Amino acid sequence: MNPPSSKLTRRSLLAAMGGAAAVPMLTGCGVGTGGDAGAGVENGAAQVTGSFDWKKLSGESIKILQTPHPYQQAFQPLLKEFTDLTGIQVQADLVAEADYFTKLNTELAGKTGAHDVFMTGAYFIWQYGPPGWMEDLTPWIENSSATNDEYDFEDIYEGLRTSTRWDFEKGSALGTGGQWAIPWGFETNVVAYNKREFDSRGIALPETFDDFIQLAVDLTDRSQNRYGVAFRGSKSWATIHPGFMTQFTREGGKDYTADGTTYTAAMNSDVAVDFTKKWVDLARNAGPTSWTTYDYPQCTGDLGNGNAMMVYDADSATYPKQKAGASAQAGNLAWYPGPAGPDGSYATNLWTWSLAMNAASKKKQAAWLFMQWATGKEAMTKATSSTFADPTRASVFDGAFKQTLGEFPGYLETFEKVIDSTKIQFTPQTKFFETTEDWAVALQDIYSGADAKSRLDELAESNTSKINA
Amino acid sequence: MATTVGGRTPPQQSSPGRAGGAGVPRVPAWRRKLRPYLLSVPAVALIIGILYAFFYGVYYTVLNYAATNPNPSFVGFENYASVLGDALFWRSAGVTLLYAVAATGIETVLGVAIALLLNRSTLIGKTFERLLILPLMIAPVIAGVIWKLMFNPQFGVLNHVFGLGSTFDWLSKDRALWSTILVDVWIYTPFVAILVLAGIRSLPKEPFEASDVDGASWFYMFRRLMLPMMWPYILVAVIFRFMDCLKVFDAVFVLTAGGPGVTTTTLQIGAFEDSITNLNYSRGSTYMFLLWIIVFITARYLVSVLGKAQRRAAGAGA
Repeated sequence: MNPPSSKLTRRSLLAAMGGAAAVPMLTGCGVGTGGDAGAGVENGAAQVTGSFDWKKLSGESIKILQTPHPYQQAFQPLLKEFTDLTGIQVQADLVAEADYFTKLNTELAGKTGAHDVFMTGAYFIWQYGPPGWMEDLTPWIENSSATNDEYDFEDIYEGLRTSTRWDFEKGSALGTGGQWAIPWGFETNVVAYNKREFDSRGIALPETFDDFIQLAVDLTDRSQNRYGVAFRGSKSWATIHPGFMTQFTREGGKDYTADGTTYTAAMNSDVAVDFTKKWVDLARNAGPTSWTTYDYPQCTGDLGNGNAMMVYDADSATYPKQKAGASAQAGNLAWYPGPAGPDGSYATNLWTWSLAMNAASKKKQAAWLFMQWATGKEAMTKATSSTFADPTRASVFDGAFKQTLGEFPGYLETFEKVIDSTKIQFTPQTKFFETTEDWAVALQDIYSGADAKSRLDELAESNTSKINA
Repeated sequence: MATTVGGRTPPQQSSPGRAGGAGVPRVPAWRRKLRPYLLSVPAVALIIGILYAFFYGVYYTVLNYAATNPNPSFVGFENYASVLGDALFWRSAGVTLLYAVAATGIETVLGVAIALLLNRSTLIGKTFERLLILPLMIAPVIAGVIWKLMFNPQFGVLNHVFGLGSTFDWLSKDRALWSTILVDVWIYTPFVAILVLAGIRSLPKEPFEASDVDGASWFYMFRRLMLPMMWPYILVAVIFRFMDCLKVFDAVFVLTAGGPGVTTTTLQIGAFEDSITNLNYSRGSTYMFLLWIIVFITARYLVSVLGKAQRRAAGAGA
């Protein structure tokens, strides 16, 4: 028989292991140290004086954080050219997109400055800006000692420059405040379709949303594993921003109305409820069967495989499927803006992958040299000759990019049709991810049978409370 | 001939040139006293490292620290009131409990059954014993990705194999939780089976031989002899699996991200959303501290059950 103390030790050990096993869960939730965070990080631009010189920091090295993406892939081979130009070594660390922002959030909150430059989207500025994690780039752009005369910031589409600028004040529109990131590549949310199928059946492109729904339903034949249109439906803010927000806006919907600094959620307005019902019915009747798990890779995968006849998502997400050998339907795809709103609106929501500077970086000048090179005309022109989609500079789009669009029917026409009404259609706010994911959850609930009106009322009440807190 | 202990020859009692005639150099008393402390240093350092972060996390729970509020202030138990007053927390707790009970239960029954089958030393048994470990060698995140592809109604293998067409959704509101449990069962049943198999093989043979001689049936021996003696091993497996299930995150997040709606939102996923998606560190830490309390209390209870089972098994085996 074992002595009692021995048993007690084993039991205590097991219990302690139970507790200890749970400890990392808790510690995983804490990042950074909190107290000394916030605004007040000194902008580094003023320290740069003298004449501009690409070679000024030769011998330095910087680290950039990126996610594998057509933009990043197009630039990867060009990094050596930057090193040749400046003498600065660049270490690019890649994190898969599914985990990218988790990694980035944690790193920025920790304020280690481990990466000097990082890829980000415009919505993330609303969250990373207020705690002072990002460097305001306006002083850098305006400092002729830090910025090359040929940089030509105004060449970047105005809608994109505006989308990456905000003062973080409630009630303020985008375009106010600091320039928190430089748009690097962007995407408009439009419809890609299987042109070969459409042509063979003599299908005309639908101009209204009701016609679009009808066509998608008509194209759906579950027995042939074919359905009308793919769009995102996963439990994520990213479900709302592409096709949903684009068509929602075209149909006259708004996310919030502002009265001074007070917001009221409007995703339960009559227009919004009517549109949401149609959208969810579209998903149910003509969308992917497992819609609530669909992100853009599944949507574009189904388009490329020939299961989905249309995709309502980012143009740059569908673009790679057209390249020879990239999918079963390569060469068969085409683009159009999607249905117009009742008033003919082609309002389109955008996503822009941008480059931002870590406010905790210890190599800000080298970081800025890299950023202005990567977002400059020359590098962007070279990048567009490979997998890069939708360059942010008008001069590059009108020049090199148009030459690569020959095998992409309708791509250029679609772009030109929507570009003037393309901007971020969301109200800028610091609770964007929380409230927008809640919006996606509401869509999933309605898809699963909840009443649209009452569910959206519940959502609006909750979001109004959160956004004004 | 020298007596061997553990296959090694003990040192001579009086080696020339060695102090004290004990065969080993005399170790100064202060070094003998210091040795246990030095040996403990790595463990103590590890514990301090863990506990520091742990208590920092607990400290967050009484602050209002978030990305939008980088200069937090003390708010007492406001976060606890907020989380405990949130219907989503209780819903997540219910989902987590159902997941843990169902997954652990199924894995235990299947694991024991497989262990009993593998206990026969046939070639098939030995082969399966080695193959069985494969799911355990796959990270749950990867397993989640693999199963998500297999569940896909458009191109997944499951609908094709079972002839379900393209309209059967494994991850719909009614099925999502059970599909995530299925994945957990696929990954972790081998863990239970291997643990129980090791237990079975360590059981004494005499009681079984005696029963066999007495003409006892296989089922009688299983119920009256094997099961009581195996019970401590089964309980160890249950403790590990149940605690692990209470903390489930990876595979479920990959498969459904907690959806559709909040159908598969476990406590860990709720905490992740608060901490990482919404960057509300204090609320996320509160979520996790409450989960830690649940896991700790559950572990204590299960360990006490294990102690009783061990005592009972010792009695049964005597």
